[in-house]
Amino acid sequence: MRILRLVSGRLLSMVGTLLVISLLTYLVFVLLPSDPAQLSCGRPCTPERLADARAFMGYDQPWLQQYLAFLGGLFGGRTFGSGAAAVHCAAPCFGYSFQLNESVTQLILDRIPVTFSIAIGAAVLWLILGVGAGVVSAVRRGTAIDRVAMTFSTVGVSAPSYLVGLLGILLFGFTLNMVPVNGYVPLTEDPVGWLWHLVLPWCVLALISAAVYARLTRGQMLEVLGEDYIRTARAKGLRERKVVGRHALRNVLIPVVTVFGIDLGSLLGGAVITERVFSMPGLGALLLDAVGNVDLPLIVGVTLFSAFLIILANFLVDLAYGVLDPRVAR
Amino acid sequence: MSTDTHLAPPAPARPPSLARRNGARDFGRRLIADRWAAAGAGAVLFFLVVAAAAPVLCAIAGQDPYTYDLDALSESGVPRGFGGGISAEHWFGVEPMTGRDLFAIVVHGSRTSILVGAGATAVSVLLGVVLGITAGFYGGWYDRVVTRIVDVLLGFPYLIFVIALGAIAPTSLPKPLLLVGVLAIFGWPSIARVVRSQTLALKRRTFVVASAALGAGGWHLLVRQLLPNLTATIIVYATITIPSMIGAEAALSFLGVGVPPPTPAWGRSIGEAIAWVQTDPMFLVFPGAALFLATLGFNLLGDGLRDAFDPKTRGLRR
Amino acid sequence: MKRYSALALAVVLALAGCNANPDEKPDAGGSTGGTEKGGTLTILSASSDITFDPAKSQNLAITTLGLVLRRLTTWDVQPGKPAQVVPDLATNTGKTTDGGKTWTYTLKDGLKYADGAAITAADIKYGIERSFAPELSGGLGYHKSLLVGGTEYKGPYSGANLASVETPDAKTITFHLKTAYGDWPWIASMPAFTPVPKAKDDPKKYTQNPVASGPYQIESYQQGVAVKLSRNPNWDAATDQVRTAGPDHVVFQLGQDTTVQAQRLITDSGDDRSAFGAGFVPPAQLVQIEQNASAKQRLVTSDAGALSYLAINTQRGPLKDLKVRQAIQYAVDKRAYQVASGGAIGGDLASTLITPGIAGRVDYDLYPADPSGDVAKAKQLLTEAGQTSLKLTLLSENSQPDLAKAQAIQQGLQRVGLTVTIKPVDEDAWTAEVTGDKGDYDLTVSSWQPDFPSANGNIQPLFASSEIGGGGYNMARYSQPEVDKLIEQATAEIDPAKAQALWAQADKRILQDAPVVPLTYTKNSFLHGSKVQNFFVPAFPAYPNYLKVSLKQG
Repeated sequence: MRILRLVSGRLLSMVGTLLVISLLTYLVFVLLPSDPAQLSCGRPCTPERLADARAFMGYDQPWLQQYLAFLGGLFGGRTFGSGAAAVHCAAPCFGYSFQLNESVTQLILDRIPVTFSIAIGAAVLWLILGVGAGVVSAVRRGTAIDRVAMTFSTVGVSAPSYLVGLLGILLFGFTLNMVPVNGYVPLTEDPVGWLWHLVLPWCVLALISAAVYARLTRGQMLEVLGEDYIRTARAKGLRERKVVGRHALRNVLIPVVTVFGIDLGSLLGGAVITERVFSMPGLGALLLDAVGNVDLPLIVGVTLFSAFLIILANFLVDLAYGVLDPRVAR
Repeated sequence: MSTDTHLAPPAPARPPSLARRNGARDFGRRLIADRWAAAGAGAVLFFLVVAAAAPVLCAIAGQDPYTYDLDALSESGVPRGFGGGISAEHWFGVEPMTGRDLFAIVVHGSRTSILVGAGATAVSVLLGVVLGITAGFYGGWYDRVVTRIVDVLLGFPYLIFVIALGAIAPTSLPKPLLLVGVLAIFGWPSIARVVRSQTLALKRRTFVVASAALGAGGWHLLVRQLLPNLTATIIVYATITIPSMIGAEAALSFLGVGVPPPTPAWGRSIGEAIAWVQTDPMFLVFPGAALFLATLGFNLLGDGLRDAFDPKTRGLRR
Repeated sequence: MKRYSALALAVVLALAGCNANPDEKPDAGGSTGGTEKGGTLTILSASSDITFDPAKSQNLAITTLGLVLRRLTTWDVQPGKPAQVVPDLATNTGKTTDGGKTWTYTLKDGLKYADGAAITAADIKYGIERSFAPELSGGLGYHKSLLVGGTEYKGPYSGANLASVETPDAKTITFHLKTAYGDWPWIASMPAFTPVPKAKDDPKKYTQNPVASGPYQIESYQQGVAVKLSRNPNWDAATDQVRTAGPDHVVFQLGQDTTVQAQRLITDSGDDRSAFGAGFVPPAQLVQIEQNASAKQRLVTSDAGALSYLAINTQRGPLKDLKVRQAIQYAVDKRAYQVASGGAIGGDLASTLITPGIAGRVDYDLYPADPSGDVAKAKQLLTEAGQTSLKLTLLSENSQPDLAKAQAIQQGLQRVGLTVTIKPVDEDAWTAEVTGDKGDYDLTVSSWQPDFPSANGNIQPLFASSEIGGGGYNMARYSQPEVDKLIEQATAEIDPAKAQALWAQADKRILQDAPVVPLTYTKNSFLHGSKVQNFFVPAFPAYPNYLKVSLKQG
């Protein structure tokens, strides 16, 4: 019962947060100086045609009304225009991009595999690398391994991902010709090609994030290894491997999971820079294009979707907390 | 840290202030003994001096980052001579297509990076500490509101927002100021989160409870009891936030939404230089190295500070 | 691809020695030869989508859309020859019996769509009608204000039809214009003059799935990733004089940054040997190509084409003063601008509005100065105007090449004491701002290539007072009744020689008012893979002719 209340309360606040985010996004882009209708007016454009385009897209309405129509569409779908050329957008309608002639929901769905491929692959890699390096560093504290790992991690944290990525493309893509320079191949179409295209982005993202996780894990591990119960476990004569693996790691994972959840959530919502550098058509690239094209419905839709993922990640982290650390569930 | 994931650094594993507080002498000794931290401090100091003395340095070199020198370029716009046009006149060579002095550009670029990085950090820390500590201390509806705002801001894909804000802001508003503001808006929530949770923990500590029982006022408790115990966290956090902010500013410049040209910015130079890497690699090397070293310096210093405050985490480096 | 059609080609770089390098082998670069059949041609494109809906497209006749869709007329573009309008679906380029007010076309025999159905005149009428629908706005719409009743017509979806387009039988189509218009055959080559079968029209999806009439049809469309074309079995080469349809497949790889395009093509490995870049080669890569013998042979540069210019907003405060605008003419550093556009390979210095290669152009220079400008004269003019500490905003597209050019302008003006702040905005935001009603900028750098090769296309869209705001491209917001009258006269003139003289007169008259500073006649450079043949870039339009590209076999 208590868990249920906790979950439902959290869900409610999630919805509230999303509403505020959508409103803010809407406001910012309504304030943009450019007129989306003008961009789709064609050449030469006349004031009458401009007015027609504006009316069709619904931009002739006051912004609050537009926003409410948008919210309505999320739950009930909406229809633009009338007659034979009317465009229907089924619920959940994140809006309709007039520039791409596609519902935003569909556009997001199309891009999800790309971003998710990048994010999940990189996350797995950096989690293994980072936590592994952190644990080893902590256990072998002060040794050469520790020093190398930590130096590497400080360097990794300090290197801008785009620079590493671009140099990686130049070296491994153009000069050595080992991996494709950019682009994305769907997993269903060509699994090997999919893997091959993703290797470099994964490595770049993972190397840099792994550095953060290594430091985090190491710090936490040292903390835990100094605790009384670990000393007790050791005193009982348990093997070191067992002490670290069974007793310490679980406690170490709590803060790591927190950071990981949020990182993964925001990455799933679009790895803007990575997608840009590797020319990957993911959500981040969609969003950047949308901003460049002043494609208001697309911007609001993708922003909201990204925010949803981040907030969902937060929510799941909270739940995971309860599982990993029973003390938290107050 | 990858700018793709999030803006502010993750919370330190364990709040340093909750560790046993150490004597100042102890602390200083440990910090100095840490060679890496000392190197970091040296680098930070170096970049601070360069940033502060940029006009002087450029005057010594006899250059400024704005004047075109088309004679330093070949017909097709590529710098003449060795290493991207390195000469007695142009110490780091010149920028392709314009012939502007690269030394002056890198030196002035440090101003942009450090000004924005430090400014954004200062504002975020100030906001984060004030809101975090008061939220944790007073609790109730105020706490709920602050927590909600924190949630909303952490839920935003911030890059897109910065891009959009850059587009709607009037040109009369200085762009560095705008960047500081925007980065701070998205930077303070994570600091507030940490400070709030530590305040919650400290509030239950005996010394605070005792002071409160003795009739100490809210203000006294906040400033005299809680804040001093948070200092370590705040200092460490601020130090590791600066490189994140510098990185974020550079990433924005790289994406073309940082300070507008011709004001020098490392990220923009890097973005431009990538195309030239085969024909003029030095154009990438100088700004790239500057950004990397400055970030590294702050990170090393931050690590050292954290270790010094909390000796448990340190490696046996000496 | 829509933006590749005409203006806003700020990214414009090219070779000095024009079309071909002197040492180029005959089969490389801009040459023609026999067309070998087969292979998969890859086209690398920076855009993330391609608009195949003819109503929404601003595509040139010789690029992407031309592979899939045919129009009433089209362009025949050959290396070294001026572009010509030639019949495509029609048997000729149009017949007029009343001096240009009524135009009649007859379709060729045996024309079929990819699905085997016959192409009829009614389909062309329907295609034109749907271009009027607000739902499908965004395309080239010159015909919309020329056809009788066009201003009020709102498209076929509400049931109305456009009476000024008549189809007396399945093969004949007649257009009734409001006024005589000598360039109508060019207008009939625009995307809207593509046949669209009414039964197959789904306005939402047509842009990704048009009914093919050209040699290729769309096999798959992945927004942001790739568009694949395969052969249209019902296209008959005998009815088509401009398309050679060499490759078996054409693949557009989308979202490829121009630097990446150039890098891939320089490397020239694997499938990239059968590829070419749709975007201009950036300056850095031009330098790289210069040092690479293999790539150098595969670089093709156009003749000087589009005009790049600095527009001065003539309706803003001190810029209303002619003296100030004249000072800007002298203050601009055209040499720095040229270097920023890639040096001599990026374009020749300009002094007129009508571009080289356009019939009737008269060369002159009203503001003679060194290529770096005349600082003393500019300062003197500013002092005379009493404006010695002006602060100006320069609106620029937010891309590296554009910003490089904006900075070149900025530092030039700075020399005479004009403080210029660059305001970088995204491409579409820039378009919206310069063509919008507010006009909240002082200066902007732009480049303009006419939609059809006539001085009309150089002058009217940029300087007629009707083109200020409301979507028009008069970025200087220049309004001069005298010029409007000249434009009107020249447009109505049916004798080409007389019309050309009038346009040349307008050219000079406009620059007397100094609303823009002509900067360079830009040249575009393109790179292709080693297996690509019949790849050339004409003077107009300065883009590769996609319709004739083929691949070396074996």
